[in-house]
Amino acid sequence: MKTTLQVIHWLFVLAMPILLVGVVNRTKSWWAGRKGPRILQFAYDLQRLLGKRPVESATATPLFRAGAYVVLVSAVLATGMAPMLGQFAPVRFPHDFVVVAYTLGLARIALMVSAMDVGSSFEGMGTAREAAFSTYAEPALFLLIGTAGAATGMTSFADLIGHLHNTPYYAIIVAPLVLCLLILLQAEAARVPVDDPLTHLELTMIHEVMILDHSGPELAAMQFAAALKMTLYAGLIAALVNPFNPLTSPAACVLASFGLMLAVALVVGCVESLTARLPMRWVTHYLLIASAAALGCMVVVGLGAGN
Amino acid sequence: MNQLILAVLALVIGAGLCLLNLDNRVRAALGLCSQAIAMVLVWSVAVPVMMGGPDVAGGISWAYPIEAVHFRLDALGAFFLSWSLPMTLLGSVYAVGYLRKYFSGPRHVGVHFALLNMVALSFVLVYTGDEVVSFLFGWEVAALAAWQLVIWDYTNSKVRFAGFNYLVSTHVGLLFLVAALMILYTHSQSWAFGDIGRWMSGHPGTLRNVVFLLLVTSFGLKSAFFPFHSWLPRAHAAAPAHVSALMSGVIHKAGLYALLRFTLLAGKPDEWMGWFLIAFSVTSAVIGGLYTVGQRDLKRLLGYSSTENVGIAGIGIGIGFLGLSWDSPALAALGFGGGLLHVLNHAFFKCQLFYAAGCVYQIKHVIDMERLGGLFKLMPVTGACFIIGGVAISALPPFNGFASEFMIYSGLFSNVGMGIWAKLTLGLVAAALAFVGAVSALSITRAFGVIFLGNARDPRLPEGREASRWMLVPMGIHALGTVVLGVVPVVGFALVAHPVSLFLHAAPAGGGALDAVVGILTRIGLISGALAAVIVTVLWLRSRFAALSPRRNQTWGCGYDLPNARMQYTGAGFSTDFSQRFRNIMVLLKRQKAPVGYFPRDSYVITDCVDAVERRLYNVIDHGDDTAVELSEKMREDDPRLAFSAGLAAIVIIASLVLLAEGALQ
Repeated sequence: MKTTLQVIHWLFVLAMPILLVGVVNRTKSWWAGRKGPRILQFAYDLQRLLGKRPVESATATPLFRAGAYVVLVSAVLATGMAPMLGQFAPVRFPHDFVVVAYTLGLARIALMVSAMDVGSSFEGMGTAREAAFSTYAEPALFLLIGTAGAATGMTSFADLIGHLHNTPYYAIIVAPLVLCLLILLQAEAARVPVDDPLTHLELTMIHEVMILDHSGPELAAMQFAAALKMTLYAGLIAALVNPFNPLTSPAACVLASFGLMLAVALVVGCVESLTARLPMRWVTHYLLIASAAALGCMVVVGLGAGN
Repeated sequence: MNQLILAVLALVIGAGLCLLNLDNRVRAALGLCSQAIAMVLVWSVAVPVMMGGPDVAGGISWAYPIEAVHFRLDALGAFFLSWSLPMTLLGSVYAVGYLRKYFSGPRHVGVHFALLNMVALSFVLVYTGDEVVSFLFGWEVAALAAWQLVIWDYTNSKVRFAGFNYLVSTHVGLLFLVAALMILYTHSQSWAFGDIGRWMSGHPGTLRNVVFLLLVTSFGLKSAFFPFHSWLPRAHAAAPAHVSALMSGVIHKAGLYALLRFTLLAGKPDEWMGWFLIAFSVTSAVIGGLYTVGQRDLKRLLGYSSTENVGIAGIGIGIGFLGLSWDSPALAALGFGGGLLHVLNHAFFKCQLFYAAGCVYQIKHVIDMERLGGLFKLMPVTGACFIIGGVAISALPPFNGFASEFMIYSGLFSNVGMGIWAKLTLGLVAAALAFVGAVSALSITRAFGVIFLGNARDPRLPEGREASRWMLVPMGIHALGTVVLGVVPVVGFALVAHPVSLFLHAAPAGGGALDAVVGILTRIGLISGALAAVIVTVLWLRSRFAALSPRRNQTWGCGYDLPNARMQYTGAGFSTDFSQRFRNIMVLLKRQKAPVGYFPRDSYVITDCVDAVERRLYNVIDHGDDTAVELSEKMREDDPRLAFSAGLAAIVIIASLVLLAEGALQ
């Protein structure tokens, strides 16, 4: 059964990025009253990009192209290790969440290096923003994990998330934790209100401006990696909410997880349709909400255990 | 033991020969040879001890008042000794390349190599000293040699000032150390570490706490913890690259060694010591990290990142303290193991980064990142070493920084029995550590992106490609170490396992704690290795697709067709937005002259990230100076009341200090 779960987990890693992007775009076009692209349009886009001969900046070094694949491989590894189905992950050992977080960190530094590599002022600007905002996002994830670890007494990522359902504080802390993860999703996967993937103005972009000079297969790698990050966080939210245990009721758990991830994409799409992106100077405050939510949960857990 | 004495002799004789009236090349060769001999001799003793062999001890009779000098090499000293000497040798090899243009000139280069020998000598003395005299002697040799090495370019008054600043700071640290040792001597009536240890482990209480605080202050100054770091950015910016590398990566690790040595002597520490050390280290790590962001000078940036990294190692040591005080060998093993491994890893990647900075300086003669750019194409080896070191210093897989930080995180998230608030506090520390990691990723990307990527910003800088092989080879060896310790972290752990087990003997039942760590590190190694292998495979596959080999074109300028190198994003542009949010911690000085009129002539903006502690320090000194002058003008020197009250004040202070430390007199 574990093998089946493994296969399903990796299917999620490969297929969900495409589906989630499709659902987000469908939701947005539904709000705008358009018919919208096919759900699988992202897959066709990737296929088209893979066949294209890229154009590279004359300034670029070999690091430019290498960066795109480092981003892709790291994102696949991180998503592969994240417990998207609740108390299950293909690879798990004590403190594996550090590996997940820092592999994403490697992806980020590779992205920033390949953006800086073309010597463009716009891409430098995007890199500076990405670097600055990530310093606000990173602690939130660790605060969340610290809270879950203290509440459950577990050490591996899957156990932390899975056992949280059995703790007495679950009903209180689940909402702030989901909010925290949703904000992290918007920051890491470059969605509104942190960043707008559809903006046409380079001055207001973060992620898109960093990949302005990427084309062909490298652009496909970067875009797939961004969608993977969204999948990772959507998966974590799904695992946090999912009431079924993958080890006892696998079918229900997988279906619930699938549905919940699509629901997260729906929420992301609705947020994107109904709000504008924040001014840059407010983005840090918005990201601090994630840390504050996790800190609040920490206090709840501390007070709860004290009594 | 005999090998150690021979090594000391080899280093001293080598240093003497360097000073002889010979050709500069011969002097350098003599210095290198003597260091290589000493290294092999020391290895022959230290490696067996480090891998679990019996301690090596011995003594030499000496004239009155010292009478005897005792040496003891245990696993902790052997661990530090086994990499300090080779790294000093690599630094000396690098020095050959760095100073080569002086070899044919009139300057006496031998002095520099003699001093490098003295640095190596100080390691042998400090890491093997078993009593206070030889320990302090080695400590002082290191301080003086480092000062002399820093002021290589002594004709420059800024460099002299930086050296003097370092000299004063390090001796302020010495005062605290001597104060602590005097308290210890009055109670143990002995200079031997063994006797001091017996007293310290047997008498917990106020006095031991005072000693602990004095020692932490002194060793904090040596290792440049915040807020005792103010000498560091200046010294690192002023010194030649290999000296900065050795100071940051190797020499100042003696402070952490001494902290660990006295921890071993003190037996079971109190819980507050662990929390104090963690708080102190987190502050260092966070503020050191923040300061790296605003720097223009690459070597200053790397200097601040030393403050950050000793902070990270200090967090590990603090966790170890908590583990000892809670009788949890698993936690102690993770803490001390992570701390020690981070010390070793930092030595590898920090030297590598400084060497890369030195290579840049050697070719371009500037280290100001706003004037550089596009160096990766000219200096691919240096650039590759810099980015490997940069990824490692940001603690990202697959390089070595990740392995040690993973151990520290494991300690922070460990589920050994502790109160819920302790657990949550450690969770907060983990969040701070994550913040530090993200900040150092920011500053390293900024430095690498601005200096090595893009296009050259200043066409007036000298042309030139890679630096000499004398400099590239030591840097490459360090890079190799960084990669190997990252992909096979078990190797690093094997080096620290026996030193760590020294600490566990102090705690009951320290057996299986280390095995669990090895299991985790093996997995980390496998994952890092797999990650690296997959990335390399994907890149190789990509390069096979000739049909998809790229066409070259101009960088996309968003519709603008005539971009030039000055339009690239600058280092200041990269960091100002972030630094502005922390302006309460970092002082950002801004001088500007706005353009006026239709054809403005000279307008400029100069931003400078200066050290808040140093600024405050000099403010206090300046004001103190003024106050003293005012006071002395008011008072008449021959007034007997003045002498009387001053004497009374001194007696009250001394008496209260004694009462504070000793309790009521019997």
